[in-house]
Amino acid sequence: MDKKSAKGYLYLLPSMIIMICFTIYPLIRAIVMSFLGDYSIINGSYKSIGFDNYKALFADPDFAMSLKNTTIYVVCVVPVSIMLSLIIAVLINSCKKTKALFQTIYFLPYVTSVIAIGIVWRWMFNSNYGLINFMLGLIGIEPIQWLNLPQYAMPALIIFAIWKSMAFNILIFLAGLQTIPEDLYRAARIDSTPKFRVFTKITVPQLAPMIVYSSVIGMIGAFKVYNEVFSLFQGKAGPANKAMTIVYYIYDKFYNSYKYGVAAAGSVVLFIIILIFTRVQLRVTGGNKK
Amino acid sequence: MDIRIENLTKTYGSLNAVDHMNLTVKDGELVGLLGPSGCGKSTTLFMLSGLTTPTQGKIYFGDKDVTSIAPEDREIGLVFQNYALYPHMTVEDNITFPLINRGIKKAPAREMALEIAKVVKIDQYMKRKPSELSGGQQQRVAIARALVKKPQVLLLDEPLSNLDAKLRVATREEIRRIQQEVKITTIFVTHDQEEAMSISDRIAVMKEGVLQQYEVPQTMYLNPANEFVANFLGTPEINNIEVDVNDGVISSGGMVLRTGAKLADGHYHAGIRPESFYIDDNGNSFKVDNLRMTGRDLLLFSKLGEKVVRILVHSYMQVAEGDSVKTSVREGHILVFDDQEKLIGRF
Repeated sequence: MDKKSAKGYLYLLPSMIIMICFTIYPLIRAIVMSFLGDYSIINGSYKSIGFDNYKALFADPDFAMSLKNTTIYVVCVVPVSIMLSLIIAVLINSCKKTKALFQTIYFLPYVTSVIAIGIVWRWMFNSNYGLINFMLGLIGIEPIQWLNLPQYAMPALIIFAIWKSMAFNILIFLAGLQTIPEDLYRAARIDSTPKFRVFTKITVPQLAPMIVYSSVIGMIGAFKVYNEVFSLFQGKAGPANKAMTIVYYIYDKFYNSYKYGVAAAGSVVLFIIILIFTRVQLRVTGGNKK
Repeated sequence: MDIRIENLTKTYGSLNAVDHMNLTVKDGELVGLLGPSGCGKSTTLFMLSGLTTPTQGKIYFGDKDVTSIAPEDREIGLVFQNYALYPHMTVEDNITFPLINRGIKKAPAREMALEIAKVVKIDQYMKRKPSELSGGQQQRVAIARALVKKPQVLLLDEPLSNLDAKLRVATREEIRRIQQEVKITTIFVTHDQEEAMSISDRIAVMKEGVLQQYEVPQTMYLNPANEFVANFLGTPEINNIEVDVNDGVISSGGMVLRTGAKLADGHYHAGIRPESFYIDDNGNSFKVDNLRMTGRDLLLFSKLGEKVVRILVHSYMQVAEGDSVKTSVREGHILVFDDQEKLIGRF
């Protein structure tokens, strides 16, 4: 190693140390932990080495439900959020005068604490006084017990999460829209392009890299959903645990049931799922990278 | 289709980008809008396209007043300076795009695209993306896309500015050929006087939003309306000199340039093109301070009184720095301007 690169590594050292201590080491520990039966976090003792934790994990109906809930959550939240964000970003962008104002308004959820937002949404979902039931009432729909009935736990969570995740997507899309040359739109105008075709044939293809980026980031984030559940259902996983997600399950196994090995096994499974999905997604959309 | 511009004005704040412009383009002509940057030539083009709304004045296509008609309904083809091709579409999709927008089915649209692609000679690249084409090829695709809907008028904004020098000459000939083949009234914007002169039927020279002269290139070159036009046209640039007229004798810096001119006595601005000088044993003697070989021509730098003058001679002439050459100015090639910079006459 020459002197110059030694100096470079020296600059990298502080962040490397932090990353090794708080990211790499825990990652390896979690993987190791997932193979240790009846592991004690206090004295580090364990009774067996093997796949016992994984067996327990896959035998647990709660884990199956959390897997199902998380999948539903990802499949609903990510595409809907991206589609709505895209439409809203185009609308915001189309009016130059109010652009800065709406950009700020839509970005607020991103910089606000999820817990605080959760409190506001609990009020909005309130079955007697909530804004959502009031609105539904206007079009003749009976009040819904959003947060109290098990069957509405996932819909409520998904609505909340879509709203929350839009802030980031809108920001990305607005930035992307700035990079589309104005002349393309002028050319489209000269070519008598209908408005909807301008959107599908020019705006969307031009934003393709941003859409891929948003969907990858959004999907990874959605698989790790936890904050939203915690804040909306006041630290629980919804009525009858009906809004249990994978990360919530891991959290519950670790802190409430003290089953460290099972929690670690759950983390490894989640890690593998995200890895596979991200690879597949990048392969499928890879054509857009150009 | 004839194009008529009446009193066309575009104001941005207190600035008149285009100032009461009047212009008539005959059917099938190729007209170059020429001027330095910021002279209002692109604004004029975009007003013709409908993308910019005039502050005042009217635009007629044929007998129809199109001033308030939207660009998509004007039957125009517009080629942008950067071509504005849709980058994610193939050449074919780019060309058929305006047709499909107008409700034409895919199969006939493809046929029409191929037909126009053959005219502009890009038919072998139909399946490529714009990024896989050279600048000149992209330009042709842009022209094909503009022409495929069979517009009445073709507008080109700085069509050659993004091409390298060699390609520029070839492409301008191509534009002329395509324009002649399709027989379409065409207006293009350029800041390059040579480009404008070489392919235009007529040139409109603009300065600060005001139309200076609208003429056939050769006539304009020999008979510029004013000093600005005289200076703007021609390379190497015209020599701007000061002349004194006394009893019909035009002189400058102690040299008699012409006798018997019918011009009132006084002091004038004048212009002599470098190529207006010819070798003449009875002419004035110019000492060569400097020279540039450009291939076909030899450009000599000398002095007329205090002013540097450029004299163009054939490159086979044997001259060296410090030599003297005897030259006169061709009859009718001294352009004399009044104090308003207007041409008074040629002597």
